[in-house]
Amino acid sequence: MDIKLSIKNLDAYYGKTKVLHNISLDIPKNKAVAIIGPSGCGKSTFIRCLNRMHEVVGGSITGSIMMDNEELSKKDPVLLRKRVGMVFQKPNPFPTMSIFNNVAAGLRLNGIRNKKIIAPIVEKCLKQAALWDEVKDNLDDSGANLSGGQQQRLCIARTLAVDPEVILMDEPASALDPISTTKIEDLIFELKKDYTIVIVTHNMQQAARVSDYTAFFYIGELVEFDVTSKIFMSPAKKQTEDYVRGRFG
Amino acid sequence: MQLHFNLEVDKLKSSLLQMASLVDQQVDSALNALENAQAELFKEIKAKDLEIDAYDNLIQTQCANIFALFQPVASDLRFIMSALMINNQLERCGDIAVNIAQRVKKTTAQKALIEESQIVDMGKQAKDMLKRTIDAFINNDIELANKVIDNDDIVDGYNKKIFKFLITKMQSNSELIEPCSHLLILSRHIERLADHAANISEDILFLLEARVASHQKKLTPPKDEN
Repeated sequence: MDIKLSIKNLDAYYGKTKVLHNISLDIPKNKAVAIIGPSGCGKSTFIRCLNRMHEVVGGSITGSIMMDNEELSKKDPVLLRKRVGMVFQKPNPFPTMSIFNNVAAGLRLNGIRNKKIIAPIVEKCLKQAALWDEVKDNLDDSGANLSGGQQQRLCIARTLAVDPEVILMDEPASALDPISTTKIEDLIFELKKDYTIVIVTHNMQQAARVSDYTAFFYIGELVEFDVTSKIFMSPAKKQTEDYVRGRFG
Repeated sequence: MQLHFNLEVDKLKSSLLQMASLVDQQVDSALNALENAQAELFKEIKAKDLEIDAYDNLIQTQCANIFALFQPVASDLRFIMSALMINNQLERCGDIAVNIAQRVKKTTAQKALIEESQIVDMGKQAKDMLKRTIDAFINNDIELANKVIDNDDIVDGYNKKIFKFLITKMQSNSELIEPCSHLLILSRHIERLADHAANISEDILFLLEARVASHQKKLTPPKDEN
C-alpha cells in the first residue's frame, strides 16, 4: 500500500494550548480517510495541519508530517496548498465571479492566462465534480446563483482545477440537503480513484459510507485508526465502540 | 451514497449467484451418483463443498459490512436480510449434497430397491424445486416462488410413500434392513433439500412482498403485547 501522507508524533498548539497530542498515522494514497469524533476533538485542526492552514490561524506544530517522503514544514505553503486542496463546510464560491471564472481562478492565480488552455480544464473539472451537465449552458452566470449543493460541487471543481494530489474536506456536506449530500458522497467515491481524500465529518453514517479508513479522535488524541469496516463492526477500543454506537458520554 | 452502496450490493448478488450455481451443480452430481451408483463421486463433491463454505463466509462478511457501513432500509434492508437467509439455506443444501453422495457408497448394490422405491424421482423433484427457486431469485418471480413452496407437498408425499415402502420391505426381509435404513436416511436428506428450496422461496417472498411467509400453514402469530 502506497502511503501519501505520513504523520508522526504530531502535536498542535494554539498559542501555548496543546490541542493535538502525539498523533501518528499513515494516510494511504488514493483512499478516502474519514476523521470522526465529537466537537472539539481536533478533527479540523488535524486536517488544517495537512496543508499548513493551521499556521495561518496562529497555530504551531511539532512532530513530522511527510508527503511522499518530503517534510511539509520545508515546503512553500502556497505551493503546498496547490498540491493539497481544501473544501470547506460552507460553500464559498467567489460571489462576483461567473461559474467559469470560479473554476479558472486557481489557474489564473498560478499564471495560466490562455483561455484555450483554461477552457478544457474548466470543463474537465466541472465534469469531475459532476456539475457540468447542470451548468454547461450557463457558465457565465454568477456562481452565487447556484444552489448550495451546486455551489459546493463548484468549490470542489475549483479545487480540482489546480490539479491537487490530496483533497481535504471539512464537513463538506453538513450544510446540504440529503440529495446534494448523496451527490457529494458519490463524488468522493469517484474522486478517490485519482486523489487522496481526507474528510472530516460529524456524521458517522457518512464516514461509514464514503471512507476506506476511519480515524476516531477524542480530546485531541487519536483513539483508533483502522479500515472503516473494522471501526464500524468491531472497533478495538471501547471509546470508539461507545462513540460509533451513539452511547458516548 | 448510491454508487458505493450499489457496487457493494452488486458484489453481494454476484457472490450469491455463484454460490447458488455451485450448489445446483453439487446437488445434480449427488443425485446422479445416487441414480447411477457412482460412489466415486463422493470425494469430488466433498472437496467442492469447501468452495460453497467459502462463499458462505464471504457472503456473511459482505452482508455484515453493508449493514455496518450503509444502514440499509426498506427494500435494501430486506435484500440484505434475504441474502443472509438464502446464503444459510444454500450452505445447508451443499452439506446435504455431500451427505447424499456419502450415503451412495452404501447403496451401490441396491439398484433394484432404489428403482422400486422411487427415491430417484423424489430427488429429481427436489432438485427441480432448487433450480426453480434460484430462477425465482434471479428473476424476482413471486409466482414461481409460490409454486416452489406448493411443490414441497409433493416431495413430502414421496417421503411418506418411500418410508412406508421401505418399512414394509424391512418387515418382509430382514436382510434388507441395512440397505433400507440407508435409503430411509437418503429420503430424509432429499426431503430436507426440498424444505431448503421452499425456505429460499419464502425468503424471496419476504424480499419482494415484505411479508414473512414461513410457517404460515402451521402457526397463529403470537399476540403483540404492545
